[in-house]
Amino acid sequence: MTSTAAPTVAPAPKAPLFGDEEKRIILDPLLDQNPITLQVLGICSALAVTTRLDVSIVMGISVIAVMAMANVAISLLRNLIPSKIRIIVQLVVVSGAVIIVDQVLRAYAFDLAKQLGVFISLIITNCIVMGRLEAFAMQNPPWRSLLDGIGNGLGYAWIICVVGAVREIFGSGNLFGIQIIPQAMYDAGYVNNGLMVLAPGAFILLGVIVWVLRWLRGYVEN
Amino acid sequence: MNTNSNSYVMAFTIGLCVTVSSILAVLATELKPTQLAAAEFDRQKNVMMAAGMIENGDPRTREVLEALYEKQVKRVVIDTRDGTVAEGKTVDDIDKLNADALEADPKDRMAFRMIETAFTADGKLDAIILPVSGKGLWSTLYGYLALDADKNHVKGIQFYKHGETPGLGGEIENPKWTAMWKGKEILNDKGELVSITVKKGKVNESIESEKRHAVDGLAGATITSNGVGKFVRRDLQAFGTYLQKK
Repeated sequence: MTSTAAPTVAPAPKAPLFGDEEKRIILDPLLDQNPITLQVLGICSALAVTTRLDVSIVMGISVIAVMAMANVAISLLRNLIPSKIRIIVQLVVVSGAVIIVDQVLRAYAFDLAKQLGVFISLIITNCIVMGRLEAFAMQNPPWRSLLDGIGNGLGYAWIICVVGAVREIFGSGNLFGIQIIPQAMYDAGYVNNGLMVLAPGAFILLGVIVWVLRWLRGYVEN
Repeated sequence: MNTNSNSYVMAFTIGLCVTVSSILAVLATELKPTQLAAAEFDRQKNVMMAAGMIENGDPRTREVLEALYEKQVKRVVIDTRDGTVAEGKTVDDIDKLNADALEADPKDRMAFRMIETAFTADGKLDAIILPVSGKGLWSTLYGYLALDADKNHVKGIQFYKHGETPGLGGEIENPKWTAMWKGKEILNDKGELVSITVKKGKVNESIESEKRHAVDGLAGATITSNGVGKFVRRDLQAFGTYLQKK
């Protein structure tokens, strides 16, 4: 819940539907304000559900959906929420959104829901979600909050998809469950990297991604 | 309006909770049938995987697989007291049958059990699929053990629900491990039920009884392995009368 940075936007009268400000809201979290690489939030699920690309994608979509729903709901209620119980109100809304996603997944993507198991429910505790509610949705109108939710969700999703793809390729030689490393390589003595299947592999990989992105964007921690 | 007064906070909280729970209740009720159908399809897939009728990740569509199950798998109720098939009974009758049996003899808990029988395309009995479940390390494991029509050789084993650690106890799902079960025997030469033992470490191929009745344990998952061995034996014993009836 430690929401750092994240500049808040003063509501402008008669703002265009997709002005520069809106574009910035949705694009910033992808790189310059990426919740994982720069704010280092939501790490636990990024480690746990990224052994396969398809699971990572579903997890990413779930987080985007939860953040969009919760951000809009909180933004609509922002002037009504008593400030002394705002955190618990945010939790109720996030939990509601997470249960909706969980139920829908169980009905329409049973196999993936089974693999994600408890981690869908654990989106509730994902710091990115609460962080954005507290830092953005409490001060901004619904449309911008929706964009902010989608933007931050995407920022989270693309990172875990990269981690998921690398782990699946090097950990089990597959992508989307289909073998992509040719059998000839295995016959020639190539073996899958067992570390990639386990959490420490994801940790190292995530560290490398954080480092590369920070280096590319010239980010310095102060 | 003072949004910090106690009465406002109370009213707001109640309003929020009622709204959220109503939305969730409606949603859950609406999705229930779809979820149950999805879970039932998943169970059917696992039965067929245990029986070796389909591979994991079979690319065929859901309709095709459901039709296959419908056509080639039959659920039957077994009376475990004497090992006979309770003709004409279905899954809906089990609770009533068991209640009656329990009343007749308090020792007969779960006298009637459901099993599945798989047939080949030309109608020959191909596999008998028994439900097995019990404790691992963290969770209850649910699976299916398939036997050949001779009620002795294992055809396959498949776990469809568990909460073991992925990579350790979770390896019970690993096809390489489940493949080891294939061809093992649950009866010894005298026809007594010996079940399958999950060894700690590797099976010693030079010992005849191990070669026939044991599989390798899972590295780093001793408690899960022991659990599997234990509840497979227990569940096979529950079907003992049926299995020994030729």
